[in-house]
Amino acid sequence: MSEIFTMGIDVGSTSSKCIILKNGKEIVSKSMIPVGAGTSGPRRVVEAVLRESKLSIEDLSYILATGYGRHMMDWVHSEMSELSCHAKAAYFLYPNVRTVIDIGGQDAKVLRISPQGMLTNFAMNDKCAAGTGRFLDVMARVIEVEVDDLGVLSAQSTNVINISSTCTVFAESEVISQLAQNTHINDIVRGIHRSVAGRVAGLAKRVGVEDDVVMTGGVAKNNGVVVALEEELYKKIHVSPLAQYAGALGAALYAFDKRES
Amino acid sequence: MSNIQTLLSAFDAIAKNPKKQLDDYISQGKKAIGCFPYYVPEELVYASGMVPFGVWGKTGGKINLAKEYFAAFYCTIAQLNLEMGLDGTLDGLSGVIAPSICDTLRPFTQNFRVACPDIPFMFLAHPQNRKKEYGVKFTEQQYNKIKIKLEEISGIKITNDNLNEAIKIYNENRKARRRFIELAGQYPHIITATSRSVVLKSAFFMLKDEHTKMLNELNGLIEASPIEPWKGKKVVTSGIVLDSPSLLKIFDDNQLAIVADDMAHESRAIRVDVQENTNHPMQALAEQFGNQDYDTLLYDPELNKRPGYLVEKVKKSQADGVVIMIMQFCDPEEIEFPSLKKGLEEAGIPYIKIGMDQQMTNFGQAQTSLQAFADVLSTL
Repeated sequence: MSEIFTMGIDVGSTSSKCIILKNGKEIVSKSMIPVGAGTSGPRRVVEAVLRESKLSIEDLSYILATGYGRHMMDWVHSEMSELSCHAKAAYFLYPNVRTVIDIGGQDAKVLRISPQGMLTNFAMNDKCAAGTGRFLDVMARVIEVEVDDLGVLSAQSTNVINISSTCTVFAESEVISQLAQNTHINDIVRGIHRSVAGRVAGLAKRVGVEDDVVMTGGVAKNNGVVVALEEELYKKIHVSPLAQYAGALGAALYAFDKRES
Repeated sequence: MSNIQTLLSAFDAIAKNPKKQLDDYISQGKKAIGCFPYYVPEELVYASGMVPFGVWGKTGGKINLAKEYFAAFYCTIAQLNLEMGLDGTLDGLSGVIAPSICDTLRPFTQNFRVACPDIPFMFLAHPQNRKKEYGVKFTEQQYNKIKIKLEEISGIKITNDNLNEAIKIYNENRKARRRFIELAGQYPHIITATSRSVVLKSAFFMLKDEHTKMLNELNGLIEASPIEPWKGKKVVTSGIVLDSPSLLKIFDDNQLAIVADDMAHESRAIRVDVQENTNHPMQALAEQFGNQDYDTLLYDPELNKRPGYLVEKVKKSQADGVVIMIMQFCDPEEIEFPSLKKGLEEAGIPYIKIGMDQQMTNFGQAQTSLQAFADVLSTL
């Protein structure tokens, strides 16, 4: 059998991810560029995976785009919503998955997955950035730390404080108040994670939470949010090293399914 | 003879440019009365020889001047109605009728009265207990107050005869719109979600006899067309207003046909007819309001009839799922949502909830939701 290569591109709100898959199973190359829709990110990320895999566009049987900026990718074969793609990838990585929590740069989603791996129900956040990656970006800026350091800082927290999960602006005011009261940064960061977890847990309870629970999206890299969500939901949450690539992986898997249609 | 596309284009032009429609009526020497949501007895306006003109906010509008009167977390329909009063969009109206059926509209009516003193203002208080005899009597008294004001503005007496005639014209229009909604569900390859909306929306900006004439012609042409199998999915919409062209295009792009609705701006506005040719047409109008039901905003002594109503609508229309449009900051809708959710889940009917407000022009998140919902429906 000749080798079949498919590509999935996830044009997110804050980053672009791309994966080339061989025979619908093996990841040949993957790349992430930390800028998303409307930037050079999508072009650069595609160039990066082609360079790494030593393949050309002509070698690819099917290319599928997903993510917030998917509609701008007019040169691909088709596009699908990132919800469907995250569900597909989560099932590929964890066949027992029934619930997916995907927190991306601009929105949060909770997906219910059937035993056959089909997306059966979902809930998304409303317009407010509370409970999303953007919320963490804003808070990290306020407390003058790097987003990537948030997980480590919250693990060192010794006190529980509450930060509003109602809206990003309210929460920012609360964080500033906590800073003014000399609350330790580690405790503030933990409070921020609990705020995100509270918001997302509300979404999750709306669609129902069933094991196994898998977290995807860029925020899954932040162990502080994962731990806070586990505490909130009383569930073990599985996080793959490919969590941030789940959209691109699902797109590449769908591309493999669709290559003959 | 007009063909379907020509008629749809005509409805589209009216729905997209109500100001031109208003100016045209005024240039014909007619007076127009603005009718805010919900349940304005437009028949009274028609009987007084004036044009009832629906004012249900402004999709894609921007709130600027009205910010002085409302907190940011206020229904955008109310805010945009006041904005249009302040920015001159409503200039030309000879008056407005402002119902106060929810806790948001009540303060709105008072703010509008203060902020736009040059527009003659008619406050309409509907009773919560609308079905009992005393409730009907109260509604009738309220309508009589409106009647007196309308007669002052128009200089024309509202008689039993001209009111009965108005009732007949409105019943005919409600019937034509209900038939159109059925046909849109049967012919989604002809009537898209977008065109369905403009046909129904245009009714708010036209004299109803004119709208009925055009719509009956359209209905006839649709009925004469062959029914074709629909390859997409069928949904019921629920909420207040769904008239944004960008949002409706997402339904069309994802082949989601709207086969029935539970929208205040659409089916809820035309469900109940008024008894014709009575000696007491004003009482008949009040009884019509008493006979209204299954509305988020109407008091339901039996509690929670709406989930069952929505489930039945889905079954009757053979829809695959429900799209619930929640207007941002609408307390009644937010409070009602859990009961709808429970009812739909118990009936095994897929649904999604989409938050929106009238200022929105970019629907990226709704696009993702609707596309994923279409995926979900296609796998069930």
